[in-house]
Amino acid sequence: MAKRNVDPITLSVVRGVLETTQREMTLALEQTARSSVFNLAHDYSTALFNHAPEMILQGQDIPIHLGSLIPAMKSVAKYFEGDIHDGDLMLHNDPSYGGSHIIDTCMYMPVFYEGELVFWTVCKGHLTDIGGPVPAGYNPNATEIYAEGLRIPPIKIWDQGKPRHDVMNMILSNMRARRDQEGDFNALIGACQVGARNLKRLMDRYGKAMVQDCIAELLDMAEHHMRSLIAEVPDGTYTGTAILEDAGHGYGDFEITATVTIKGDGCHIAIQSPPQIPYFINSYEGNSHSGVYLGLMMFAQLPPPYNEGLYRCVSTDMGPKGTLCNAKSPAPHMNCTTTPMETLTDAVRLAFEQAAPHKVSASWGHANGCNIAGWDKRHDEEYVTMVLASIISGAGATAQADGWHAVGPECCFGALTSGDIEMLEHSYPIIIHRYSLMEDSGGAGKNRGGSGTCWEVEPLDTPMTLITFGEGRRIPAMGAAGAKSAMVSKKVGRLEVTRNGATQIITDNVIETIQPGERAANKNPGGGGYGNAFERDVQKVVEDVRNGLVSLEGARLDYGVVITDRDTLAVDAAATAALRATAA
Amino acid sequence: MQNTYRLGIDAGGTFTDFILADRNGEVRIFKALSTPQDPTQAIRNGLALIEEETGITATEIVSNADLCINGTTVGLNALIQHKGARTGLIATAGHEDSIEIRLGHKEDGYRYDPEYPPARMLVPRYLRRGVRERVVSTGAVHTPLHEDDVRDACRHFLREGVDSVAISFVWSVLHPDHELRAAEIVREMMPGVRLTVGSLLYPQVREYTRTSTAIVNAYLAPILSRYVEAVDGYFRSLGAKNPVRYFQSNGGLALGSVVSDQSVYAINSGPASAPQAALYIGEPWGLKNIITVDMGGTSFDITLTRDGRANVSKNIDFLRYRIGIPMIQVETLGAGGGSIGWIDSMGLLQMGPQSAGSEPGPASYDQGGEKPTTTDANLVLGYLNPDGLVGGRLPLAVQKATKAIATHLAQPLGLSVEQAAYGMFTIVNNNMVNAIRRVSVERGYDPRDFVLNCAGGATGAHITALAREMGITRVLVSKLASGLCAYGQIISDVKYNYMAPAPVRLEGAAAAAKLDGLFKGLETRGRDDLTKDGFTEDRISVRRSLDMRYVGQVHECTVDVDPFPLDEAALERLKAAFHARHEELYTYSEPASMVEVVNVESAISGRVDKPRRMTIAKGTGAAAAQAGTRSMIFAADGTPRETPVYSGAKLGAGDRIVGPAVIEEVTTTLVVEPGWTAELTETGVYLLDYTGGGAAA
Repeated sequence: MAKRNVDPITLSVVRGVLETTQREMTLALEQTARSSVFNLAHDYSTALFNHAPEMILQGQDIPIHLGSLIPAMKSVAKYFEGDIHDGDLMLHNDPSYGGSHIIDTCMYMPVFYEGELVFWTVCKGHLTDIGGPVPAGYNPNATEIYAEGLRIPPIKIWDQGKPRHDVMNMILSNMRARRDQEGDFNALIGACQVGARNLKRLMDRYGKAMVQDCIAELLDMAEHHMRSLIAEVPDGTYTGTAILEDAGHGYGDFEITATVTIKGDGCHIAIQSPPQIPYFINSYEGNSHSGVYLGLMMFAQLPPPYNEGLYRCVSTDMGPKGTLCNAKSPAPHMNCTTTPMETLTDAVRLAFEQAAPHKVSASWGHANGCNIAGWDKRHDEEYVTMVLASIISGAGATAQADGWHAVGPECCFGALTSGDIEMLEHSYPIIIHRYSLMEDSGGAGKNRGGSGTCWEVEPLDTPMTLITFGEGRRIPAMGAAGAKSAMVSKKVGRLEVTRNGATQIITDNVIETIQPGERAANKNPGGGGYGNAFERDVQKVVEDVRNGLVSLEGARLDYGVVITDRDTLAVDAAATAALRATAA
Repeated sequence: MQNTYRLGIDAGGTFTDFILADRNGEVRIFKALSTPQDPTQAIRNGLALIEEETGITATEIVSNADLCINGTTVGLNALIQHKGARTGLIATAGHEDSIEIRLGHKEDGYRYDPEYPPARMLVPRYLRRGVRERVVSTGAVHTPLHEDDVRDACRHFLREGVDSVAISFVWSVLHPDHELRAAEIVREMMPGVRLTVGSLLYPQVREYTRTSTAIVNAYLAPILSRYVEAVDGYFRSLGAKNPVRYFQSNGGLALGSVVSDQSVYAINSGPASAPQAALYIGEPWGLKNIITVDMGGTSFDITLTRDGRANVSKNIDFLRYRIGIPMIQVETLGAGGGSIGWIDSMGLLQMGPQSAGSEPGPASYDQGGEKPTTTDANLVLGYLNPDGLVGGRLPLAVQKATKAIATHLAQPLGLSVEQAAYGMFTIVNNNMVNAIRRVSVERGYDPRDFVLNCAGGATGAHITALAREMGITRVLVSKLASGLCAYGQIISDVKYNYMAPAPVRLEGAAAAAKLDGLFKGLETRGRDDLTKDGFTEDRISVRRSLDMRYVGQVHECTVDVDPFPLDEAALERLKAAFHARHEELYTYSEPASMVEVVNVESAISGRVDKPRRMTIAKGTGAAAAQAGTRSMIFAADGTPRETPVYSGAKLGAGDRIVGPAVIEEVTTTLVVEPGWTAELTETGVYLLDYTGGGAAA
């Protein structure tokens, strides 16, 4: 079946080595990085590219980066075309060159073998800071990208083996918490080196030509696989529209529409979105690829490994330049990897749900989190970080099962780890009073959406700046196959700030100062349900009530189950049948 | 050895292995079927079998044994089958859900899988109760313990019929009083219940890990304690002079009372004795860098020792549950004799992790299995004897193996059956090689600096091929390979781990004094415990380890050190050790950056006398042991080659065999690939060296 002179055994072996290589790069990055965003959030990606450069392997890392490394790598290679040498190392973060948002910094190492450029090992990671007026980069007041941080077009930080200390010093001089940033750059470089070392060894063993043939074959096989999945869907045009809520910018709610056209074994995905706005939720084209590909994955549901062959039969059109999902400079964009990416994903997911009902899972809760900054008296130093534990939402239910609790947000799809709360308190001067699931937060459905989480914090002994981002505070995660919730207010996120006994509910993105003794609780949405909630097995509803995941009121309103005794959880069968019949 | 016998009993999934060593150096292996329903039954059955075969009664062995050692899977099985005790958790209010949130993570590899289920909760949400109390990161009390909340929790647990309770509070490791007071209340209100206290069981920083570890322990403790009571009682009735010693996943032996209270230490003990066995086997050649691979029917376990010390893992997910305590690092892969070959949705040949198990087993077992397995490939390649293992009962059906490989793999891939079989062999080997990288390369070690040691019945067919793939040039295969883990247990020492949290930056005299005080405290406790257990000072040894990182990093790397006085100057030594380890692991270090310690640990061992080694009489040359030839395949093109077969039982010390060849032992088959030379040595170990030339594939 192979087109090239490749034996199937060597092919399997080469694939195994590529996966091991990617895994070892990931491990090196994760274990050494300073930024908790990137080593706990797994908000990084490692990938291997061939000379073309086509992506030959991406780990099962975070969906935020699913697509955007592909255009980024191509931009960087094009920028330096004719000037790429052994011992070079490139750095870049600019969305105008295919980057996602500028706080995601990418490192590209060309791998030479027998004097020829054969591979690229690439890593991308979310740093804790990228300069600019607001710590951690998320500036809700920015009206242009210039007010968000340092923009780095493709540059060389090593030139034929010689580190450009002057260039690095210029970059680091523009960033907060320099020590952490420097450590994170080292981690990115270390991971690229680990990848290069393994690939050279692979070519030593099997020869360059054989390895390249195997890789070409793997790309073809992935292409064939995706084509066969798309061919199963009836030809036609399917659309999905999702609403992006106004999280405080004042421009109102927006619609994002995806139109998926299936023809034979290929598909075209076209995005329509409103004109870009002077608020940090614009997505440049590279980032929008990630949203589109995540929607596609919620349909394809493929196991790893992933390579660019999967996308050969998928063409995209992000809409006219200057729109929300195809922004142009100087649009501010820092929030784009969550907002609008998740709404974009929902639109694509929904279009695929029309095309392949019964297959596509419900939407996950959107990211709605906080960054914190301030002074750590324990060590007399400043601190700044994104708090991953503050964005953990619920997963969408699938046709087969309830959604998982606490593995969102959608843009991360379970790839995050939120970090141990003692380690967070050790690293930052804070007290985390609550990190828990939330009653009634999972979307109602025959299969229930997963529970969201609440993260409640108090500064230890100094005032803390708290900056919120994201959305999902008014519109709950979208259900699938007709799932709807009656109790909407429990299913959406919000920030609750308690001062002097009074609690203020905040649904906009804000910058707040929290004093010691005051508390801020960030609540995250649950996932969407799947199927009619009034068809959910009554016993499952009772178990959810027993476990405090659904309240008595929720059982009645969301599921049509009437429980008469809070202690024994006895169900009134007649009342339940009657209630369920009314909605049928 | 101070008495006539030493007895080791290692329960496995299918078989329970018995190792009987006597003071003359004779070591015998017996196998009885495991009895998971009543684990002590397998012990009785095995001792009866030994009496049948040797005439020595159970009473005679046990009353004349210096030590009886048991490695048990009771805890492991309860965890796999979710048949532990009904357990309740008392947590800091607001933190009842950390074990269900699981750091917000879904395991890699299942990102888009719509069916992969969440981990089953050992303690469901309604049995997790929060109480008002709070200590902060400085160790100060923010909210005192509300004792009424604890009493409420107990009343709830009593109503719900809870058998075991775990208590785990945030920062209890810096200020244990709240947990200890809560424990008093639980004991008072629930006198019959087993109790696990997080800061006592696992006094290390990380709330999720500590709570999860405490829960696993609480879940297993009632089961382990019933088991220990039954086994101890049985051995006492046989006249045991010393208490039975139980083998732990930290690689050491423990008293039954310890395993009952700290049951989590017993969960993955099976493969944890391999490093000890490897070092003992390699000792005559002074070998200290050894990778041991153990291939059974369904799985492949890898362990590693470097400079004579085993890799240790802490804070890992085991069967999807986070466990903090130090355990011998065992990398397990679904690759065994029963692993099935299949073609994936992309059209690529894969081996495992699905396994034909023992029912129906490989196609060649002719018990109804139709899928091609590793064993079938090895049979078609000529490595395995169609008559079955020499001592074995089970003949192998070549035509069934051929048919399975032809139908499912060779025809779809357009290969001959022989090529497909060699492909299966190659891919399963490569899967194993990639797994071996996880204990070596990912720990910063180059596998070429190691020798490869063979354990388990199915490994011998692959061992030289694995070494070839890894660039390893020396291999050890003991005649006891198929029972190596049980053997490892009877030569192990008693070992306990003592831990303390130590969040401190490595700077100044105060930091040195703090670390010094912590280590001294831990080691005083350890020495006391071992002294009470009868160990004299000269038999007690200590190893220290520190979890260190650059300030700002989120993960630590563990640095092992010998005990030395910890003054301010010694901090430099610690830092240097950390920088070196960081560079080894991650290709770089940052000597100018501030280093901090998070946790410290002392492992305290009590040395146990070793039994004498096996001795093999001098041989008269390998020719006398040749038992004919078979057609075998050692190349990807599938070309067969007539290859000599030797009977291991007839070989003597000093006999040398040049590959290609197969050596058949009673419970294992050793394939010597072209380019390798095997020599049986006087301690019953085959030493295989790569002598070059003739390399296959």
